[in-house]
Amino acid sequence: MDECLFRQSVEAVPTLSTAGNCATLYLAGMGMFTPVGAFEAAITIFFDDRPIPARPGETVAACLLRANTPAFRTTPVTGAARLPYCMIGHCFECLVEIDGIGNKQACLQIVNEGMKVCTQKGAATVIGASQ
Amino acid sequence: MTGMPTLNSFPGSNSDTTVDADVIVIGAGPAGMSAAIGITRAGLKVIVLDMQPAPGGQIFRSLESNLQARPATNKLLHALGPTYLDGQALIEQFRSTPGIDYRPQTTVWDLRADATVGWLQGDAAGYLRARQVVVANGAMERPVPFPGWTLPGVMTAGAVQTLLKAGRLQPGGRVVLVGTGPLILLLADQLRRLGIRPSLIGRTDTFKDKIAAVGSLKISAFSPLVKGLGWLTKLKLAGITMRTGVSDLRAHGRDKVESVSLSIDGRKVELGCDLLVVHDGIVPATDIAHCAGLAMDWQTDDSSWQPRTTEDGRAEMVPGPGLTGGPCKIRVSGDARRIGGADAAIAHGRYVAACIAADLHKNSTTGGMIAVGDDVVRTLAGRPFIDKAFPRGLATQALEDNTIICRCEELTAGDIRTAIGNGVTDMNHLRGTLRCGMGPCQGRSCAVTVARLLAESAGANTPALFRARPPLRPLPLIALANLSGLDPELAQVVSLGDKPEAEAMEQPHE
Repeated sequence: MDECLFRQSVEAVPTLSTAGNCATLYLAGMGMFTPVGAFEAAITIFFDDRPIPARPGETVAACLLRANTPAFRTTPVTGAARLPYCMIGHCFECLVEIDGIGNKQACLQIVNEGMKVCTQKGAATVIGASQ
Repeated sequence: MTGMPTLNSFPGSNSDTTVDADVIVIGAGPAGMSAAIGITRAGLKVIVLDMQPAPGGQIFRSLESNLQARPATNKLLHALGPTYLDGQALIEQFRSTPGIDYRPQTTVWDLRADATVGWLQGDAAGYLRARQVVVANGAMERPVPFPGWTLPGVMTAGAVQTLLKAGRLQPGGRVVLVGTGPLILLLADQLRRLGIRPSLIGRTDTFKDKIAAVGSLKISAFSPLVKGLGWLTKLKLAGITMRTGVSDLRAHGRDKVESVSLSIDGRKVELGCDLLVVHDGIVPATDIAHCAGLAMDWQTDDSSWQPRTTEDGRAEMVPGPGLTGGPCKIRVSGDARRIGGADAAIAHGRYVAACIAADLHKNSTTGGMIAVGDDVVRTLAGRPFIDKAFPRGLATQALEDNTIICRCEELTAGDIRTAIGNGVTDMNHLRGTLRCGMGPCQGRSCAVTVARLLAESAGANTPALFRARPPLRPLPLIALANLSGLDPELAQVVSLGDKPEAEAMEQPHE
């Protein structure tokens, strides 16, 4: 089995992390997760500067998955794309940058009006990339 | 708080006068809620720390808010079924018991044997102290590496359930479920009620396992057995494809999972997939217990660690140097102690509360000892049958050299085998050499597999876990800078053993 199937090459990362490509990926196809019943968004958060409707009380991870986000972070070693795996705070795959602070577990953070969430690219930086 | 820090004073000597509560309970799931209710009713002061915004644990996650949001959530509640709604009574009791100091959205990043707990809430962090601590942080799904398991779109069954309960989200596209255990069948039935038809439910367990399990079938297992057969029947009637004896699971794709291949009784099958849901049973969450330096027992049959406890949940320290000396004031309850499910956790939490009350009230009639209740025994009695009927499967799949084991540092089985070939014999050495287990998850996802790889060459040696050190979870610098509740006693370091040059921290606050 070809190793690149399992380990994404570093060259593939820029195509994932540019805003333009993300937008097309958001629109493409059916979402991996869709609301059960009617969805009533009351607040807005921002993911990489893009507004995303959110339901008060939901986690950042749930909100971003509903928005069909292709990757929450890229890994520090090979730059591979990752999405949440366990959703209960154990796996740390859902790390994002929230309001300028990196290494935040999206599955544990509850959305706030105007919250600024960014893809965590590689290791967390001390001063947030969004600042 | 009195006097200067005395680094050599006996730990816990003045603890009863400086505590924040009689008992700190970590976790507000079935065991934690049940323990907190019992302890409070006994007239003792309890602080409950829980990671989630509302009580319920993972099994009853977001139950309150989903009930409040009716009728919009009627469809969801119907799909989640009676197992979920059963939590309502306990949550209401927890909420209505006066005096419980409940602190939601609070993560625990340190626990010491002397009942000191490090907590984080938002950007605030600190230490709390109690006379006893109940660790009730529940379970996690057994991490199971296979080729492609790090691809976006591969998730655990528990993750999908959490997205249902807390996110009110259902999977779309082509869903494939692979693994074993009651949870995967429950999830499949919940998805069926939502009108989602998984392309395949691939089970690693076989009919042979069921035959082997019959000998362990106790009367108390009949109710879950009937439930399970009900799920199976409904899935069958719905025409959802289910196969047993599945092996060789692989997820394929570049930026996300695109297809899945597996063997069914030796025949290779490949199918398109947008979401691969895996589950290989659940194991105790050992991070907090391990951080406290509690002795952990390796369960050979189950490839998991369990904190060593007596029936009343009392834990013991691992022999040798630790960060805190003195008697161990920690008990472990619920799934964090022994996997048994919600009913067993509720019963054990109640029992632990009674034991703590007897202990702290120095009840002369019981002498601090209370016989274990029938409910504790009964609720755990069905477990051996479930364990035998659904033995771990994905976790026994042969590990290929290019399969990632440490998800954080992206280390493969081959990387780890090479290090072992070069003379690495234990997990700490491996961490020091490769950074395996050093990433944000702190070994939660890789420890079990690393133990397996070490056992490949070392033979039947009982693997020892990575040495855990606080903070267990990332702490923002602002929280660390403003740390509250620092007590001179906390700065005590009896011995670090491995780092004899390390000195006890000076008290930084005025």
